[in-house]
Amino acid sequence: MSLVRVLALKAVTLILVLFGVLMLVVLVLGATGVSDRILTAYVGEQLRAVRQELSQRIRDPVELERALETYRSELITAYGLDRPWYTRLPQMILRVLILDLGSSRTVTSFSGSSKVSDIILERLPNTVALVTTAVAISSAVGIALGARAALKAGSRYDRAVSLFSSVSFALPSWWMGLIYILAFSFYLGIFPFGGLYSTPPPTTPLERAADILWHATLPVLTLVTVILGGWAYISRTIVLNVTREDFVAVARAKGLKENLLMRRYIIRPAAPPIVTNIVFAISGSIGGAILTETVFNFPGMGRLYYEAITSFDENLVIALTYLYTLIYIASRFILEILYVVLDPRVRI
Amino acid sequence: MPAREWRVFWSSPTSKAGVLLLASMTIVSLYVLITYPQDFGLRIWNNPGYWADYPKEAPPSWVNLFTADKLPEHMVILTDSPAYTYSDGQYYKVYRLDFQYEYSDTPSFLSITLGPAIFYGRPPYLEITVERPDGLTVPLYFATAGTVLPEETPPYRRFDPSQRIFLSGEEQVARSLQLFLRMNNVDLSYNDVARLGPERIIFLELSGEGLGERVLKGRYIVNVVFIGDTHDDNLSWAKFVVGGKVYGLSGTDRIGRDLAAGLLFGFPVALLIGLVTSVLTTSIGSSLGIMSGYIGGRVDEIIQRVSDILNNIPLLPLLIFFTFIFKPSIWLIVMILVVFGWSGLTIVVRSIVLQVKSEQYVEAAVSLGAPRWRIMSRHVFPRIAPFILAQMILSTPSAILAEASLSFLGLGDPSLPSWGQMLDYSFRSGGVNIGLWWWIIPPGVLIVVTGLTFILLSLGLEPVVSPRLRRMR
Repeated sequence: MSLVRVLALKAVTLILVLFGVLMLVVLVLGATGVSDRILTAYVGEQLRAVRQELSQRIRDPVELERALETYRSELITAYGLDRPWYTRLPQMILRVLILDLGSSRTVTSFSGSSKVSDIILERLPNTVALVTTAVAISSAVGIALGARAALKAGSRYDRAVSLFSSVSFALPSWWMGLIYILAFSFYLGIFPFGGLYSTPPPTTPLERAADILWHATLPVLTLVTVILGGWAYISRTIVLNVTREDFVAVARAKGLKENLLMRRYIIRPAAPPIVTNIVFAISGSIGGAILTETVFNFPGMGRLYYEAITSFDENLVIALTYLYTLIYIASRFILEILYVVLDPRVRI
Repeated sequence: MPAREWRVFWSSPTSKAGVLLLASMTIVSLYVLITYPQDFGLRIWNNPGYWADYPKEAPPSWVNLFTADKLPEHMVILTDSPAYTYSDGQYYKVYRLDFQYEYSDTPSFLSITLGPAIFYGRPPYLEITVERPDGLTVPLYFATAGTVLPEETPPYRRFDPSQRIFLSGEEQVARSLQLFLRMNNVDLSYNDVARLGPERIIFLELSGEGLGERVLKGRYIVNVVFIGDTHDDNLSWAKFVVGGKVYGLSGTDRIGRDLAAGLLFGFPVALLIGLVTSVLTTSIGSSLGIMSGYIGGRVDEIIQRVSDILNNIPLLPLLIFFTFIFKPSIWLIVMILVVFGWSGLTIVVRSIVLQVKSEQYVEAAVSLGAPRWRIMSRHVFPRIAPFILAQMILSTPSAILAEASLSFLGLGDPSLPSWGQMLDYSFRSGGVNIGLWWWIIPPGVLIVVTGLTFILLSLGLEPVVSPRLRRMR
């Protein structure tokens, strides 16, 4: 019963987080007048377009101005610019909450649609593929490195792994990306400078897949380099803690083979925290990929977020911030459930 | 830190390396704070005019150590003592600017800057020529020092504070060079001459067939002749700049900024951001953690719920969002990092305090009737202080990285140039795509080394913080 209570409490917290972030973003956009400015600019833009069109039909300048003025006030009412910004707030939050994301102002999808959901759906798979590939590779390699280092604690190998993790902790992913571009694209010329497809893209599916792999190698390598150290460090700490437990000493005293000891007495109890770390890493890296995607001009969510912010695309910014938070807290919730499933001690 | 703990800390090589690095970074920062002007960012670094007479995209000078063909160094020749002569009622002042040129490549540009001029009668006449090592004299530039307006009265002042003539882009220079070449039996169109520019035509060998490929080495003399009507007509100084193809310790960027100056300035900026953020974050986080753990009840509940919420917020997207909406400023970045960053430590400190709370010396203090704040500050805090210190040091690199990342996205504070901003400009202007390594590698290496310094320090502190680890050794 208490287990349900714990999960419910977590769920409430996470929903509060989601709501809080959304509220914060909308409040800041409104209170700083940015929202008003964006909408006013948008009204002006539409008016210019309409003026062109109307001037073909209405010759009398006075009448033209009057028609435009009517149109302008209609637009202002439609956008809610005649009311103070906070009255637009509940409506906006409600819309986003039910995932009615509206349409963007300047950024469009590759197929030309300006519906926010279209744009995001087009980019989301790219980011998810990039991040999961990188996490999969780095966790596999990192766990192996870390576990080996823990078993040889204090050795030269262990110290090398520790040093590498320390360096990677201080390594900005985007700079690593720049260095890889410099080395592999500029000097060696074996990988492209950025993007996801060649222009023009190859036609056969097989060639197309190879082309994407070729373009994605450096971004994946960048992410792997940066998060690998963290993996090695975490796995080392977890495994080291387990090897110091009394039951491992007892098992060893019983004369169990190292192999068996490793499989049954060390890896098994060390697994739950490592597995939960994988979920954690994916959710964390999706936000972090903003920088890597910018460096490689990678058409994912992070690059989109940057484009949306620099082009003042209000709807897109709100939608993406919401989505980032949603992904983040969803994975946090999965994490909570995984704790329960993987670690029998929590269930008691 | 008591002596015993200090000995434990100092015994590991990682701590020594960390302390050494931190000390050198502090020294560099102090040097910068003392020698750099306060408004370095806006008046110097981000002001293209200041860097006009620097070579653009020049690699560091030390690349010459690794090549047989020496690229030209940047040269600035200045004089304020002319030779005087008088003839036919005219006063001649000759500013002689001479230099030795022994490089295998031509300069990247030529420019001349003249100091304030003063005159009493008709505007003086200016004549700029170059004597080449092979004895030929190249006429470059002729002009009067402005015109006199009817309402003006002597003395007339011109070129105040200075007048820069960019010889490599001056139409008149190209015309006189074309004439010079023609007199030496080399026929080139005006466009060709303008494309080659004085930096090649003056510094390449001339033969009967045309302009050679090889650089003419030897002594060059630039003569700036100032011809005035009265004895008191005067030009304060003349400066000749031979644009190098290598520059300084770390080269220059697209607009000619001396990268070494920017790299040095990055030290105090990074330390400031890192330390201010980590001190604030850790003090808020740990004091709330102690309160939450020791007082308990409703205070505990509120603090834990808030930090749980903050702990689940994706930081980077919000950080980008806020810096973009508000004016990018270093204090805003620090504030956001602090507001969203204290929660993790609070949760950990609380759980440690819960253990400390039930220890005997705390219970003894309670039974003696000591007030709560006194127990928290005198008994609980000292116990967890080493841990808090280690956390503070460990949280410093993330603040430095966060600022660098935001700067890289173009959201840096322009009044405080940082390593992230240098990398932002190099990336956006395509410096990576054309392989300007001296503009890309050093700033990043400094970011990594600065972060690593604090990580080494916190690794060194680990055995002090958790004595269990010490026993294992």
